Amino acid sequence: MALYNTHTGKPVVNRTRNAIIMVVLILFALATLFPIYFMLISSFGDPVEAGAMSYSLFPSKISFESYKFFFNYSDHSIRWLLNSLIVAASVMISNVFFASLAGYAFSKIRFKGRAVLFSVLLVSMMIPYQVTQVPLYILIVNTFEIQNTYTAMIVPGLVTVYNIFLAKQFMGSIPNEILECAKIEGCNQFQIYFKIILPLSKTVLAVMAILTFMESWNTFFWPFLVTNTMDMQTIQVGLKNFRFANTTYFAPMMAGATISALPMFILFFSLQKYFLEGVTVGAVKG
Amino acid sequence: MAQIAKQTKRRRIKGDSGYGYAFIAVALVVFAMFTAYPVVSAFIISFQQYKPLGSEYVGLENYIASFNDKLFWKSVYNTIIYTILTVPVALFLSFAVAILIIPLRKKLQNIFKAVYYLPAVASGVALSVVWLWIYDPMASGILNRMLSVFGMSNTNWLGSSSTAMFSLVLMAWLSSHGTSIIIYLAALLGIDESYYEAAELDGASFIKKVWYIVIPCLKPTTLFLLVTGVIGSFQVFQNAYLMTGGGPDNATTMVGLLIFNNAFKYFEFGEAAAQSLVLAFIIALISFIQFKYLGKEVEY
Amino acid sequence: MKKRMRTWASVFALTFALTSITACSGGGSAEEGTGGTTGGSGQTAEAKDTITALLPPVSAGFQDNFAQMEKDFNALYPNLTLKIEPASWEDMTQKLDTQVNAGSPPDIAFIPSGSIAKYVEQGMVMSIDDIATQEMKDDFDEAPLEYMKQGESLYGFPGYMEVHGIGGNKEFLEEAGIDYKKVQQEGWTYDEFREAIKKGVVKEGDTTSRYGFVFATSGVTSRDYLTILVKNAGMPSPFTTDHKFAYTSSNFLEVLKAIRQMIDDGSMPKELSSVDAGKRWNMFLTGQTMITGKGLATFENSAKKNNEKLEANDGSAVQGSIPVEYIVLPVPTFAGEKQQASVAVDGYVTFRGKKEPTEEHKENVVKAAYFLSSGKVAATTNNDLFAAHITDSGREAAKEMTIDRNPDNVEAVETLLKQASPARPDIPTELGAKAIKLEDEVIIPKLQALIAGEITPEEMYEEVKSAAVQTFGEDGVVTE
Repeated sequence: MALYNTHTGKPVVNRTRNAIIMVVLILFALATLFPIYFMLISSFGDPVEAGAMSYSLFPSKISFESYKFFFNYSDHSIRWLLNSLIVAASVMISNVFFASLAGYAFSKIRFKGRAVLFSVLLVSMMIPYQVTQVPLYILIVNTFEIQNTYTAMIVPGLVTVYNIFLAKQFMGSIPNEILECAKIEGCNQFQIYFKIILPLSKTVLAVMAILTFMESWNTFFWPFLVTNTMDMQTIQVGLKNFRFANTTYFAPMMAGATISALPMFILFFSLQKYFLEGVTVGAVKG
Repeated sequence: MAQIAKQTKRRRIKGDSGYGYAFIAVALVVFAMFTAYPVVSAFIISFQQYKPLGSEYVGLENYIASFNDKLFWKSVYNTIIYTILTVPVALFLSFAVAILIIPLRKKLQNIFKAVYYLPAVASGVALSVVWLWIYDPMASGILNRMLSVFGMSNTNWLGSSSTAMFSLVLMAWLSSHGTSIIIYLAALLGIDESYYEAAELDGASFIKKVWYIVIPCLKPTTLFLLVTGVIGSFQVFQNAYLMTGGGPDNATTMVGLLIFNNAFKYFEFGEAAAQSLVLAFIIALISFIQFKYLGKEVEY
Repeated sequence: MKKRMRTWASVFALTFALTSITACSGGGSAEEGTGGTTGGSGQTAEAKDTITALLPPVSAGFQDNFAQMEKDFNALYPNLTLKIEPASWEDMTQKLDTQVNAGSPPDIAFIPSGSIAKYVEQGMVMSIDDIATQEMKDDFDEAPLEYMKQGESLYGFPGYMEVHGIGGNKEFLEEAGIDYKKVQQEGWTYDEFREAIKKGVVKEGDTTSRYGFVFATSGVTSRDYLTILVKNAGMPSPFTTDHKFAYTSSNFLEVLKAIRQMIDDGSMPKELSSVDAGKRWNMFLTGQTMITGKGLATFENSAKKNNEKLEANDGSAVQGSIPVEYIVLPVPTFAGEKQQASVAVDGYVTFRGKKEPTEEHKENVVKAAYFLSSGKVAATTNNDLFAAHITDSGREAAKEMTIDRNPDNVEAVETLLKQASPARPDIPTELGAKAIKLEDEVIIPKLQALIAGEITPEEMYEEVKSAAVQTFGEDGVVTE
C-alpha cells in the first residue's frame, strides 16, 4: 500500500478515501458490466429468433433451454470447446516461452542488428491482416497442405510480435546490476534467463499467458479459413453457425458466448495470484 | 579495478551476442514464415493487378488510384479522429482504474480486476449485438430510455452521421480497457517498494508519488499500450463493420473497412495491398514519434 | 498431406534443437528461417472422385442434412464422394474469396447469382455449358436458370428464386380498409400505397404506437430497400438494355422523393435509418407496424410459429406480441411503370482451381451440383423456405411433402414470380463491377443520409448523377 499514504492513527481518513474510491470504481464497473449483464440475461431466454428478442432489462423467466439448445444444436459443441482449448493452450505456452526469450534478448542482450530487427518486427504489426491473409493462406494450404489440422491453426501464432514487445518493455525495467552480478558469478545467459529473469517476470508472463490465450481463444477468422469440417472447428467458428439468413438465434448465441468465456475466466482466476504479489526486485537484489 | 571490471563487462556482453541471436531464433523463424513472407507478398501485390491465374504488373497505378480516391482520405480522416478520441481516453481510464484498485483489500482487488477484465473476455460479435440493442433508435431503446429520464429526446444513435462516430467511440471507451488495466496493474505491482519508502521519508504526497514515481516507472508500459493501441485503432474494422457498415454517409468508414471491401467485395487486391502499406506507413510515422518522446529507457 | 506434415514437424524439431544447442554453447548464431516460401507449386491435390462444396445454412434444417446428402450422393454414384464444408452466411463469402484469391476454391459454392460476375472476372468459375446435359438444363425453369449465366456461359444451377417483396398484417390491413386480395392480384401505385400506409398509422397522444410501413434500412439492408423500389420504377437493372447507367433517370428522383415522403408523412418512423432486420420483425409481431419489408414467403411460417406459442401461453412467445397473419404484398409502382418483382436467385456455382480441371472431374462436379439443386434435396430445402420449386424433379419430389400455407399467399407469390425482373447476363462484368462500387461508395451512403433526414432527395440525386457521370462518362448514363 505504499503508493498511498497510510494516515496511521486516522482511520476515518483512510475509510473515507477507500469509500470514495469504491464508489468511483463501482460506477465505472456498472457501465462496463452492462453489456455483459445483458449478454448473460438474454442467454437465459428462450431459443427464439432475432426479431423475437425482448428488450427487457430483467428476464421475464429463467430457462436453460438455450444452453441445452447450444449443446444439442450440433454433435460437435463439446468438440469445438476442446479444439479451442488445444489450440489456445499450445499458442499460449509457446508464446510465453519464446516471446519472453526474444523479449529478453531484445531488451538486455546486445547484438548486432538488434534495433533494426526489432523495428522490422514492429512495422510488420502495422500491416492490416486483410492483405496478409491471402499469402498466408497460400502458404499454409497450397504450399504446406496442412489445412484442417491443429498445426495450421497453431503455427502462425507461435510467437507474436505483440508479446515480444510486451516482454521487452517489462524486462527493460529489470536492473542491469542484477544481471551483471549473476554474470560475474559465472552464469551464462541461459542460466540468467531461467534463474533470474523468469522468476522476476512472473507477473508479466502471467499477463502474457492470459492475453495470448484469450486472443487465440477469441480468434475467429483464421481457424474458420483453414478448417473445413465441423469436427475441426473451434468454438468461435462453431458459434457463428448460430447466425442464419434472416434470423439469428440470439439466446443460444449468447449462451454460447457465455460458455466460451468461461474457460478464460477460470484461467484468469487461476493466474490471479501472480498478479497480486508484486515481484519485488529488491528481494532478489538483497 | 574499475577499469578491469569494465573491460570484462564489455567482453562478456560481446560474447553474449550469440545468445542474443539464439534467443530470438525461434521468434525470427516464425516471424519470417508467417509474417514477413505474407508482408513481402503483399508488397509485391501492391504493384500488380492481382489475379489468381496470373497477375500483371501495373507499376504505381494502385497507389495513384488510392491517393486520388476521396473516400480513402475520408476514411483516413475518420480513423485518425477515432484514434484520437479513443486511445488516450482508454489509456487514461485504465491507468486511473489500476491506480484506484491498488489500495483496496485483496479480495476487493480480485473482484474489480475480474469485473474490468470481463468485456475483454466476451466475444466481440456477441457484444456488438448487445450494443446494437443499447443503441436501439426507438424510444424503447435502452440508452434512449435512460436519457429520457433526464428529459433528453430520442436520438438515432447509429443512424445519423452526427452521432454514429460518437456511438462507436463510446462503445470503445466502455469495452476496450480490460487488457490495458491488467497490463497497467502488472506494471504497478512491479514498482519497487523502496521508491515509495524513500519518497515517504521526504513527506511526498500521493499526487507527488504518482507524478514522480509511478508515471516515470510506467513509461515503458504506457509506450507499449500507446503504440499497440494506435495500431489496433488504425486497423479497427469489426465494430464499424458490425455496427454501422461504415454508414451513414460514410461517416464511420474506417481505413480497415475500406481495405476489407477492396480486397473482398471488389477483388481489388492490389489496391487493398497498396492502401495497407500506406496505412502502415502512417502508423509507423506516428509510432516513431511516440518512441522518440516516450521511448527513452528508464534508468534505475 | 501426412508426409508434408511430418516434414514440417521435423523442420520444427530441428529448429528447436538448434536453438537449444546454440543456447548452451553460447557461440554461433542460429539459422534464420528461410521462410519456406519456395516449396510447392501451389496446387491442390484433388482426388478425381472427390467433389468439395462450401455451403451456408440455406434453410434452417439444411446443414443438419449434410451427412445424409453425402450418403445419398455416394449411393447414387459409388465412385464419387461429396465433401461438404459448412459455413455461415456472413462469413462464407470471405472464406470463398480467400480461397479464390489463393487459387484453390471448392468445386461448388452456394452463392447469390449476382456474385457470379466478380468470379468470372477473376477467371475462377467453371463454365458448365457443354458439360451439363440437356436433360439437366430442361429440368430447371428458364427464368432462374438465366440468372446463373454470365455472357453466354452457364456457371452452375439455381437453388431457388425468391421474391423480395413486402408483407402485411391481415387484421390491420382490413382495419385500414385495404382490399389486400385485390392488391395481391393487381398491384398498387405509389399514390395508393402512400394513402394506405397513412391509414395504417395509429397514434396515442403524440407518440405513434403503430406505423403504416417499416422497412429494415440499417447498414447494408438499405440496399435492399432501394433495389426493391427502383425495380418498380422502370429500372429492373442498374443498366438499360443498351448498357447505360439507369439511376440517373428522373424516375430515380421520384423514388428518392417517395422515400422521404413516407417518413415525413409519419407513416414510417423517423429513426428508420437504424432499424435492422431483427427490429422491424419484432415491430411486426408486436403490432407496431402494419406492413413490413423486405418480405419473404417464409415469414408466413415465422408468424405462424409465434401464434402457436401465444396460444400455448407458456411465456415463450415474443414479448408483447399479438397473433398476426402474414400477407404477401407486391411493392407499389412508380411513375406509371409496370410491376417487376425483385427476385433473389441463389445457386450452386461451379468453380475451378489454378490448374485446368480434367474433363472427368468437370463432369463429376456437374453431377454433384445437379444433385444438390434438383429432386429431393431441392424439394426439402425450398419447402423449408416456403420458396417456390423451380425444377420439375423438385416439384415431383415435393408432391409427397405436406406444407401448410395460406393459399392467397401462394397465389400471390406465383403471380410475382411470373413478373420477376429478368436476368441480365449481357451486362459486361467490368461494367457491373463499376456499378457495384458506385452503389457501395456513393449511392448507399447517400441513401442512408437521405433516410436519416440529412440531405434532400434532390441533393442525393445530384450527387449520384455526378458520380455516375464520373464513372461512366456523359454518354454512359441515361439523361432524361
